Amino acid sequence: MLRVEHLSKTYPNGTRALTDVSFEVADGEFLVVIGLSGSGKSTLLRCINRLIDPTEGKIFWDNIDITAATPADLRHIRRNIGMVFQQFNLVKRSSVMTNVLSGRLGYANPWLSLLGIWPDEDKKRAIKALERVGIADKAYNRADALSGGQQQRVGIARALMQEPKLILADEPVASLDPVLSHSILQYLEQLNKEGITVICSLHFLDLVHRYATRVIALKDGIKVFEGSAREIDRAKFKEIYGEEAQEVRATAL
Amino acid sequence: MTRNALIIAGLVVVYLASYRVTQIDFVKLISEAPKAQTIVRAFLTPDLFVRDFETTTIRVPFPIPCGSAPEADIVSSGPRLVPSVKCAAEKDKFTLEGFSLAPNADIVVRWHFPDDRVLTAARTQTDDKGHFSVAVDAKPIAKSINGVPSQLEVDTNTAVGGWKASQSLKDVMQEIFVTIFMALLSTSAATIIAAPLSFLAASNITKRGVFGAAVYYVTRSFFNLIRSYDPLVMATVFGFWLGFGTFPGVLALTVVTIASLGKLFSEAVENIDTGPIEALTATGSNRLQTVIYSVIPQIVPDFVSYIIYHWDINVRISTIIGFVGGGGIGFYLSQRINGFEYNKAGTAIWAIVIVVWAMDFLSAEVRKRLT
Amino acid sequence: MTDNTTRRSPFLSGLFSAIVPGAGQLYNGQRYRATAILVGALVVLGMVVWYGEPFWYISPVIIWLWNIWDAVSLSAGRTRSILAPVLFSLLATYGIGWQVVQINFKSASIERAVQIVRPMLRPDFVTLRTEKNSIWVPVQVPCAPNPPKAENEINGIKAFATPNCASVGETVIVSASGLWPDTETQVWWQTPIGDPKMLGENEAAMLVIKTDSSGSLTTTIRVPSTALAAAPDPTLPFQHRVYFEQFRPIGGFVISSNGRYVLQGMTETLALALMATTLSIFLAIPISFLAARNLMSANPLTFGIYVVVRTILNIVRSIEPLIVAIIFVVIVGLGPFAGVIALAIHSVAALAKLYSEVIEGIDPGPIEAVRATGATWVQTVRYGVVPQIVPPFTAFTIYRWDINVRSSTIIGFVGGGGIGFFLIQWIQINDLRAVSAAFIAIAVVVIVLDTISAKVRERLV
Repeated sequence: MLRVEHLSKTYPNGTRALTDVSFEVADGEFLVVIGLSGSGKSTLLRCINRLIDPTEGKIFWDNIDITAATPADLRHIRRNIGMVFQQFNLVKRSSVMTNVLSGRLGYANPWLSLLGIWPDEDKKRAIKALERVGIADKAYNRADALSGGQQQRVGIARALMQEPKLILADEPVASLDPVLSHSILQYLEQLNKEGITVICSLHFLDLVHRYATRVIALKDGIKVFEGSAREIDRAKFKEIYGEEAQEVRATAL
Repeated sequence: MTRNALIIAGLVVVYLASYRVTQIDFVKLISEAPKAQTIVRAFLTPDLFVRDFETTTIRVPFPIPCGSAPEADIVSSGPRLVPSVKCAAEKDKFTLEGFSLAPNADIVVRWHFPDDRVLTAARTQTDDKGHFSVAVDAKPIAKSINGVPSQLEVDTNTAVGGWKASQSLKDVMQEIFVTIFMALLSTSAATIIAAPLSFLAASNITKRGVFGAAVYYVTRSFFNLIRSYDPLVMATVFGFWLGFGTFPGVLALTVVTIASLGKLFSEAVENIDTGPIEALTATGSNRLQTVIYSVIPQIVPDFVSYIIYHWDINVRISTIIGFVGGGGIGFYLSQRINGFEYNKAGTAIWAIVIVVWAMDFLSAEVRKRLT
Repeated sequence: MTDNTTRRSPFLSGLFSAIVPGAGQLYNGQRYRATAILVGALVVLGMVVWYGEPFWYISPVIIWLWNIWDAVSLSAGRTRSILAPVLFSLLATYGIGWQVVQINFKSASIERAVQIVRPMLRPDFVTLRTEKNSIWVPVQVPCAPNPPKAENEINGIKAFATPNCASVGETVIVSASGLWPDTETQVWWQTPIGDPKMLGENEAAMLVIKTDSSGSLTTTIRVPSTALAAAPDPTLPFQHRVYFEQFRPIGGFVISSNGRYVLQGMTETLALALMATTLSIFLAIPISFLAARNLMSANPLTFGIYVVVRTILNIVRSIEPLIVAIIFVVIVGLGPFAGVIALAIHSVAALAKLYSEVIEGIDPGPIEAVRATGATWVQTVRYGVVPQIVPPFTAFTIYRWDINVRSSTIIGFVGGGGIGFFLIQWIQINDLRAVSAAFIAIAVVVIVLDTISAKVRERLV
């Protein structure tokens, strides 16, 4: 169970990215965060695993205060939270295998991992993760030899290596075409059904309807809506975002 | 319009000034070109292989007067002397021809008297085929004594044994190895120093806070300052300090390469994609693991490519650093040129061409594979 | 790595590798590994044999042993780490390299460095502005009957010598009055043909005397031993001169004589680089078309030209301009022109290669598009080809000009003009203050040009 309380973030240059955001996520939910670009979705997700330190507010995960964790504790917390990125964030010149294995760094022996030595069970786990996303045959290719959709699947396999209880997905399909988008989100849905909580930011309304169990909407860093996916139809969307919502639709199609 | 006109006028002035300053004189370049003939011809005929020579003396008996002694048998092959007549009376003139002797060589024709005394009879030169022809007097002093005739003799060099590498070829090989090692050591040493320094000169890593910014600008300026010197200029200072030799040459090359590689490295570090760093931090890996798994794989191919590129450049520079006393093939070359031994200099130049060419090719191939 | 079906005999594998390194690996189907081992072993062996020190033979021996072991292991399906042979190759390479280049840190004396750096901290670029006060007196050498009186007066400054004449090596008392008081005065000898001779210790130092409070000085000098060296007949008497010269600062600075040489040298350097680069552009453009594979591979004749041009370019490119300059110094004499030609020749080769690569990389798309509009051949070239090649050509040319500026600082080392010509002389006579001035000038000019050209290239790309 994840609880976010009165979260605010102001960047050093004065930009207010989040203002007093509070919500809860029960275990096993597929929560979608929607909002226009610049509405604070990425900042929110990154505050949860503290890639960005919030200015105010607290985040509790299973009653542990993430915002107050020491660096060592934080690494322990992070390794239970997988993350999937819009730009995949793979090391393009490394092999797919190395990229997937690097998801295991939080568990690995620090010294052996520096030399690039991995236990056999981790290698087996990596192959299994790649099999799950259907690209085990590409394990020894360079990451940049893969297509965008395949790279994102490597990103998911990397997150799986962490055996996460929670996956944060920051616009995982924004760089992909609609067909690939569905295939990636179906992997996330599958993981969600296996009991992993998923928090995913999206800006395509039809994808939200299809996958979300619950939705929160951000506008200029303020939470403006929280409810089920059914409640947020086109009219509601327009009500929240005004005429700009048209642009969102346009880019989605 | 006025702006363009001003630019053009400025360029015209600059070019006219440069033309005067550099004393350009194409007429002289063409009219005086023959002066370079000897040098260029020597460069094009490098001293590569030699054969051992043995000096042999070829003789032909020549009875004076006729009948005073047995006449010579006629030989028709090999190095030989052939007089136009087989014998002569005193004071007669005849022609002596030599065949198959050393080509283009100075020839001294001598009388070898029966009592083993020797007298120069004529001087000449052989042609390309080792042939000469010279007029000789049948001097009374060369009379046969007691039925033993005087002999006409010449010394000639005949090659013995096969071709072998000349001394200068051996020296050049030696110096070429030294040159390659100079490049290798300076590039390696520069890499070891430049790699960590380059992180200090990378804005995305260092430029944080006042202290960071200071470090960034100091390292950057250091790189830019050193880079503005040609390695040869640098070598003069090191030569001053350490005496002339290979070591100051290597040090000078190292210093210039540090600056050059440091700048290239820092640009590679600045261009890394921060996404993977974020992704690995999110998996709970520690800082060192993050660097090793996300930063290093991104920069290593660039680094290696730059290192090889610089090794190539350093081989090139090592070939001339000896001109200012930095050792290696350049020193050999400048010594030979100062001593007007242009054939030997030619050997060095061809060696340089081959090595630089090979390095160029290899480094281009390796770098192509890397990216 | 090899599976059961391709497994080979361990004995044969080992034997093959023992005979030829890598052969056992080849036998096991590892072509790449075999080549690497063979090449590596040959290189290390060649190097060790060339150097000849018995100790280093350990490296090829270990590599050979490892190679046998590796071949045997391969036949059993195991791949061994290449760490050991790589390590030993590197050890031999760097060990021999270290000895070959005679690395000797003991020669790096700090005291010597201080001796060098200290004068370099005071670059000889400007000097105090001074005014000069001088007078000379004639002295006849050697003596003739009735020598003219040895005295002279200019602008109220008087000087005289006794006796009026002397022979080489004899002493003369010279005095001057009416000079500036309490000022150091240089006293030196001038022969009738205008040669200055020093009168200080061993005739190798300047004689400097301070005037008294009334502006007078008196000193004895010895007629220099070389005073008659250039005289047509040493027994003929001639009028020599003894000069007295004073300098005093009048505030402000002027460029010193070495400073002027630095300026002259840098001007030459820049002009040299500019002319060399410009000349090379004109030659490189036509040549680059001949060296572009895509244009020249149409028939065997043009392809032959392509190969010949490429080869010549490669040969010329591998000879440093410094070496080429030697030849042109012989032809046109010392001076910047020799440097211009040498740099231009090298630049032609370098630029033609870069240009030809640009031509080879031309995108046929735009050409097709322009042609599709019904454009003529000239129009196609103008709108389809030129826009594609001009920016990279310009960028490469500016890059070359950068390199040429750096090279032209050293082309003077062999007499090719520019700052290097002065620099090498200052180094030979140990004038570190002048060297330092040259260094500063080089750094300033090169950094400024670098910045400008980087900006220009950024705009182009």
